[in-house]
Amino acid sequence: MFNYIKNIITGIISLCDGLSVTLKHVFRKPITLQYPEQKPDLQLRFRGRLVMPIDPEKNDNRCTGCMMCAKICPNHSIMEIEKVMEDGKPKPKVKKYIYNFGTCMFCNLCVEVCPFAAIIMSDEYALADENKEKFILDLVAERYNLTGKKLNWWKSKFKKEPAEEKVQK
Amino acid sequence: MELIKNILYNTDKVLKDFYNWSHNLWVSFNLPVILLDIIFYLLITAAVAAFLVFNALFIIYYDRKVAAKFQVRYGPNRVGYKGILQTLADTIKLVIKEDINAEKVDKIIFFLAPFLVFIPAFMVFLVIPFGKGLIPADLNIGILYVLAITGLSVLGILSAGWASNNKYSLIGGMRSAAQIVSYEIPTVLVILSILLLSGSLKMGDIVNAQSSITKWFIFMQPVGFILFLIAANAEINRAPFDLPEAESELVSGFITEYSALKFAFFFLAEYTNLFLASAIATTLFLGGWQGPFLPPFVWFIIKTYLVVTFLMWTRWTFPRIRVDQLMEFSWKYLTPIAFINLIITAIIIKFV
Repeated sequence: MFNYIKNIITGIISLCDGLSVTLKHVFRKPITLQYPEQKPDLQLRFRGRLVMPIDPEKNDNRCTGCMMCAKICPNHSIMEIEKVMEDGKPKPKVKKYIYNFGTCMFCNLCVEVCPFAAIIMSDEYALADENKEKFILDLVAERYNLTGKKLNWWKSKFKKEPAEEKVQK
Repeated sequence: MELIKNILYNTDKVLKDFYNWSHNLWVSFNLPVILLDIIFYLLITAAVAAFLVFNALFIIYYDRKVAAKFQVRYGPNRVGYKGILQTLADTIKLVIKEDINAEKVDKIIFFLAPFLVFIPAFMVFLVIPFGKGLIPADLNIGILYVLAITGLSVLGILSAGWASNNKYSLIGGMRSAAQIVSYEIPTVLVILSILLLSGSLKMGDIVNAQSSITKWFIFMQPVGFILFLIAANAEINRAPFDLPEAESELVSGFITEYSALKFAFFFLAEYTNLFLASAIATTLFLGGWQGPFLPPFVWFIIKTYLVVTFLMWTRWTFPRIRVDQLMEFSWKYLTPIAFINLIITAIIIKFV
C-alpha cells in the first residue's frame, strides 16, 4: 500500500518534470537554417572547390607552374599545367591550369604544398551538375576574384617574394 | 449590424426565428411539414460535417506546427502563408493516389472499416454544444449517448485489423480493443462524478450548471479532469497510448494495409477524435461555451484548442508505454483513483 502511493506520487512528479522540459523548448528559437533563402555562415578554412584567385596588387594569378600541386594530388584532379617563360622575368607564368573537381576530394594538400599560395579552397559548395564535362575547369582562364574576409586571410598567407628581398638587401 | 451581433451572440434565437419563418412559408404553400424538418436536419448535418472536415484540416496543420515548436524547428512553411495550405495539398495527394487493395483481404469488411471508424466519431457531435443553443440535438441522455457511441469505434478498428489479413494489423486491432475497453471504465467513473454535480445527463444542463468561472467543474474535480484527459487520450489511441499503431513494433498497426482515400478516412477519424475528446473535456470541465465578451462559439473553440494543445504537449513529451504497463496503468491506478474520486464526491454532495 505504501509502495502504491509512493508510485503514484513519484509518477506525477516525473510526469510534470518531463512536461516542464518540453515546455522550455517551446520558447526556444528554431535553429533550422532555411537553406535556399538563408545561406550558412562559412568558416575561413571551409574547403569548397579549388580556385586560383587574382592577386589584386599584380592583377594576375600568383602561379609559377612549379607542378608541386599536380604531383601531390592523390586523385590526379589537377590534370594539366602548361607554363611559359616570359623574357626578362625570373619566374615562369602559367598559361593553362586544368582542374577536375569531379574527382577532387577536397583534401587541401595542393593548397598546403603551394610555395606561393597561388591556389586556395573557395567558398563554393553547391557544385552538382548533370554534365560531367562542366567539372573540368581552366582555373587560369577563369580569373576568380576573392572578396571580403577570405581575401584578407588569403593575403596573410603570402610570403615575401625572393626578388623583393634581394632588392632590399 | 444588429443582425450580425444577434447571429454571433444569440444564435439559437436567430435560428429559431428562421425556422419559424420558413415553417410559416412552407405551410402557406400547403407542403408537408415533415419534409421541411428533414431538410433542416440535412442542413445541420452538412454544416457539422463541413465544420469537422475543415477543422480536421486545420488541426493536422496545427499539430504539425506544435510538434515543430516542441522540437525546436519550423514545421510546414512552404505551401501558402506559413504553410497553412499544407494539409490541403496532402489531402489532394491522398485522394489522387492509387487505392491499393491487398489480394487476401476480407473485401467487404476491409472496405467498411474506415467508415466504421469515422462514423461514430461523427455521430457523437450530435450532442456536443458548440455554442448557446448551437447543439444539433439536446438529448436527455446526452452524455450516455457519447459513451455508447465512442465505444463503437473499437468495432471499426478491430475489423480493420481483422480484414487486413496481416499479423501486425490484427495485433494492432486487438491491442486497440483491449485498450479502449479498459480505459472506458475510468472515463465513465469520472463522468459519473460530474453527473453527481450537475444532476443531469443533458449536455445543455451540464454546461448551464457551470455558469460562472468559480462553478467550473475543473475546480471541483481537479483529479477527475486529469484522469479524464489521460483516459480520453488513451481511448483515441494517441501517443503516449498509440500502441495499436506503434510503428516500432507493428509498422502502422491496423492501418498498415490501407492507402489513398481509406487511409485519409482513418486520418480524419483520428483527428476528429482528438477534437471530440477535447470538446467533451471542455463541455464537462471547462464550462463549455460560456465566457464573457466573445461569442459563445468562439469561446468553445478557444477552450477546446487549449485542451488539444495540452494533449499535443503530452504527446510530444512522453514515450509510448509498454503493453503490460498499459493494462496495469488503467486497472491498478486510474480505475481505483477514479472510484475514490467518485466516492469522495458523493460523500461531499450528501453531507455538505
